[in-house]
Amino acid sequence: MRKEAFAAPVADEAATRTGRVSSRLTIARGGLLVVVGAFALLTPGFLSVPSLTTLLTTASFVGCLAMAMTFITISGNIMSFALGGTAAVAAVVFVHVLNAFGYAPAVIAALVAGALVTAAQGALVGALRANPIIVSIAANVLIYGVAEWLTNNETAHISEEALGLLIKGKLFGLPVEFCAFVLVTIIGQLVLTFTVFGRNLFYIGSGFRAAEAVGLPTVRTTIGAYCWAGLFSAVAGILLASRFNQANMEFALRYDYDAIAAVLVGGTAIQGGSGSMMRTFVGVAAISIIQVVLLLHGLREEWRLLIMGLVVLAVVILYSSRQRG
Amino acid sequence: MLDIRHLAVSFGPVQALRDVSLSLAAGELRAVCGENGAGKSTLMKALMGIVKPVAGQIEIDGKVVAIESPQVAQQIGVALVAQELSLAPHLSILDNIWLGNRTVPLFHRRKAFRDKATAALQQLSADLDLDVPVSKLTVGQRQMVEIARLLVRDARILILDEPTATLSDVEIERMMTALRSLKEKGKCVLYVTHRLGEVFEICDSVTVLRNGVDVGAGPVAEIDRQKLIEMMLGRSFREMYPAPSAQGAFTQGLQVQDLRIPGAVHDLSFVAKRGEITCIAGQVGAGAGSVTRALAGLLSDASGHVSLDGTPLRLGSIAARMQRNITFVSEDRAGEGIFRRSVLENLVAARLDNHARYGLLSWKRLRRFAGTLCAEVMVDAQRLGANAFDLSGGNQQKLLFARAIGDKQPGVLLINEPTRGVDVGARAEIYRLLREFCRQGYVLLVTSSDLEEAIGISDKVITLYRGNLVGVYQRPDMDMSRILADITHPAEPKAA
Repeated sequence: MRKEAFAAPVADEAATRTGRVSSRLTIARGGLLVVVGAFALLTPGFLSVPSLTTLLTTASFVGCLAMAMTFITISGNIMSFALGGTAAVAAVVFVHVLNAFGYAPAVIAALVAGALVTAAQGALVGALRANPIIVSIAANVLIYGVAEWLTNNETAHISEEALGLLIKGKLFGLPVEFCAFVLVTIIGQLVLTFTVFGRNLFYIGSGFRAAEAVGLPTVRTTIGAYCWAGLFSAVAGILLASRFNQANMEFALRYDYDAIAAVLVGGTAIQGGSGSMMRTFVGVAAISIIQVVLLLHGLREEWRLLIMGLVVLAVVILYSSRQRG
Repeated sequence: MLDIRHLAVSFGPVQALRDVSLSLAAGELRAVCGENGAGKSTLMKALMGIVKPVAGQIEIDGKVVAIESPQVAQQIGVALVAQELSLAPHLSILDNIWLGNRTVPLFHRRKAFRDKATAALQQLSADLDLDVPVSKLTVGQRQMVEIARLLVRDARILILDEPTATLSDVEIERMMTALRSLKEKGKCVLYVTHRLGEVFEICDSVTVLRNGVDVGAGPVAEIDRQKLIEMMLGRSFREMYPAPSAQGAFTQGLQVQDLRIPGAVHDLSFVAKRGEITCIAGQVGAGAGSVTRALAGLLSDASGHVSLDGTPLRLGSIAARMQRNITFVSEDRAGEGIFRRSVLENLVAARLDNHARYGLLSWKRLRRFAGTLCAEVMVDAQRLGANAFDLSGGNQQKLLFARAIGDKQPGVLLINEPTRGVDVGARAEIYRLLREFCRQGYVLLVTSSDLEEAIGISDKVITLYRGNLVGVYQRPDMDMSRILADITHPAEPKAA
């Protein structure tokens, strides 16, 4: 049994190394939150009701997409560039069905549309092991192509009589969009922690071949991850359409990138197999606060992009040092 | 030529090498044997300047040298032929031999370098065309190129790390010729190997490492196989393997008929009874691993008639296999076995469905279940929260076996190379565990390229040569030499 001791040093070394890096990550992430929080509090006007309402509302759109993205990232498929497009499709479907059939059918139709669009990608990625990034880029182009062909790029407006059906305003003193976002986060986290599907997601994300060898339903689980991503993207679409009383395909164009940034800043591992909705929630908070603060300081769009880019790069660099040790 | 005196290397608090002395004369071929974790690779790394010794010294030609880096090792003529070769596949043999060599001037006389490369290959008795790209060569030929590359850099002390592990018989023969001719040229060679046959075939002397100490050294003429094994293990060979279970306790089992896997296995038929360990023995590439893989439903192009307890089993379907509680344990633990998650999650991976109500998991029940699994396979339950990647090879392997437990029916365990990367202490425990599964009525189908293990643990050995069945041996009629002959020489396939 003395031999056991010989295997130990390597393991211990690796453990302390991962420990060291993850603690460095925690410190970096904590530091970022403190800095962001301090800046926010020092910014005049940040703590006003209108600015906080804006913060919570915009955070909700990106937030739902980030939750959607988290499923894909944990499943080991990195990320998708087609979730913004999916949200837009859901928004357009929502508006058209709302005008024709009413609220409940519209919500269901939007959710189904979102899930279908992503499930198709999940099938390609799961069954054929196609590169998920390429699939999502192709899907995005396809979505916009087909949408343009069908709608001529016209904005769909919610009709006067249907406007009354929308749920707007505040719930428990919070914007209704934010309540929906919190609900999405909780549902997502429950799915991840307490369902067989959720746990399988972690398995296939941390080792696809190992999951196959164990006998887990890898294809079904991958498609499931994309379905949930589609559902949550559709929620973002519904929220956007309800907010602006209209929908068009340009709606969620740059939300993909913000959602990716939120997932990364939150600390879900880009290589898959670990992460949570709670972490992404923190990431969404950080990203949204940065944006609102920049807005309040009167900084223009290019500054916003620059800072978002730097934040994502910083996270990627911090993570890469784990591999090199 | 090379003198190592009382070398010790530590990683943190644990000593990987405690006290190793070894001396090597010019023209000597020295085998270095030892179980996994005995310190062979650490010794190699110390000689290559990859790790720094904390005590002891290395002398070359009577002068103490400090090998601080791989560059220093190269300067003083120590070179390692690693298992993973580092050749550029699209360049020619000539280019590969000189690639990265600082002595080559920008404008060089091609002829001189050609001649030197040819001379190096001749030293190895290897007849290769210098202008052929490396991608066209076999693994054995690539190894020759790698060694030639070291020779043109004036390597005098060559370290070979299991060079024959991936070679075919013919190529092994060529490697032996090359080594003999290196010896004649006065190079000295440290030959790290698991294959004891090779030790006796070509080596002059042998050093045995155990627990980081050289427990024995001497000319091979003065030692026999049995003694060598006992020296490596530190105990008698017989104690390693548990007594077989009572025969005939179960009548049913796994029946395989005309199993065909394109490019790997041809019309293989055999029976693996419940309560017995059946071992498919064969060399690397003989197809044994593909048989278990096909039975696990992982190969979609496998065909044949397989039944378990008389009921047919559909091949190529993972779902079908899960229904019958068939567990597959791969030889590639890191890639195909262990998840980079906690021990708990690794244990319960295949059994989540049994612990869910209305689709919702009860973590309390999962934790309790994992605790019982730990007890059954002798893993410390305190480590349920640890990352499974940080466990030793033996513990990881036990954890994979545990995945077979927890179904209402005793199932089938398909295990490729049950003790690869597992150290001696844990090995005996793993064999005991396999017997325990037998007692409970599992079918155990094991593949192994380690003959001693195959014979030591099995009730039945099936020999495979290039995907064809050669013979079936039932305990106690297992003859090592006949089985060895079966798996190394082609023979007419017999009916099972």
